[in-house]
Amino acid sequence: DLSSGINAEYMGGFRPRAMANRTDVHARNVHGTNPQYLIEKILRTKIHESNYWKEHCFALNAESIIEKAMDLDAVGGAYGGHLKPTKFMCLVLKMLQIQPEKDIVIEFIKNYDLKYLRILGAFYLRLVGNAMDIYQYLEPLYNDYRKIRRRLRDGTYVITHIDELVDEFLTQDHVFEIVLPRISKRRVLETTGQLSPRRSELELLEKLESEEPLLLEDERLLLGENDESS
Amino acid sequence: AEGDTSDDELPDDTDDLEDEAAITAWKNRELARLKRDREEREAADKDKEETERRRQLTDAEIVAENARLGLRKVKKKGQMR
Repeated sequence: DLSSGINAEYMGGFRPRAMANRTDVHARNVHGTNPQYLIEKILRTKIHESNYWKEHCFALNAESIIEKAMDLDAVGGAYGGHLKPTKFMCLVLKMLQIQPEKDIVIEFIKNYDLKYLRILGAFYLRLVGNAMDIYQYLEPLYNDYRKIRRRLRDGTYVITHIDELVDEFLTQDHVFEIVLPRISKRRVLETTGQLSPRRSELELLEKLESEEPLLLEDERLLLGENDESS
Repeated sequence: AEGDTSDDELPDDTDDLEDEAAITAWKNRELARLKRDREEREAADKDKEETERRRQLTDAEIVAENARLGLRKVKKKGQMR
């Protein structure tokens, strides 16, 4: 009798593909749709067909995905004539599928030692988060100038930096072949008073280093005001 | 793991946080971003001011200004068929 007592162990780890690839039943819709749909169908299918997905992503959870992120050697979308997905993109889809708690995602981003995990968390939050969270948790990464390998469409690798990637996440419509959900421009959230202007580490540095700081007009005013109030 | 890359294809991503060149490069990127953001903000402000100014104009003034700037010209219909 096959209908009773079937579980993953009994089946030797095998489960029908439709089951392995479906979204966690407890996952909430994101931007009004199944979170996995944030990755377009073609790329999603390529991921489901890839060996890395089948062999390494099968039973990952929010904890074991960290180990996989540690092993990443590059970020990127897909490459080559057949649009082979990067491991990074497979893990992004896995995140969309298992929908880890927001606190966990924020831990990924705040984590300093694992820089590829940091980018994975940041990109995931950019896909599913609201504008306020996105600015709040991604902007501090503007100060992180460490190197990240990026795999381009043609399969070659280039070096980019965390601050550059975060800037793309916050200002571009497309990153890693994926259409990013629209978020309000920063200055719109500033006009409505939801965000205060971004303070760059650079200006604080310059202020420390020299008497005649290289400041932008409005930032100068801001710093002046803060000096008086403190 | 998929056997399509060897390590020597991979550019080095080890970091030296004290590296002056890396810090300078970051400063330049950050400065360019701040400049871009400021310019975007200025352009948006200017746009808003212009909208406000136009709102204060009378209909006649708007018609006159449109004529002067060549805005809202009615396109002449080409020969149909």
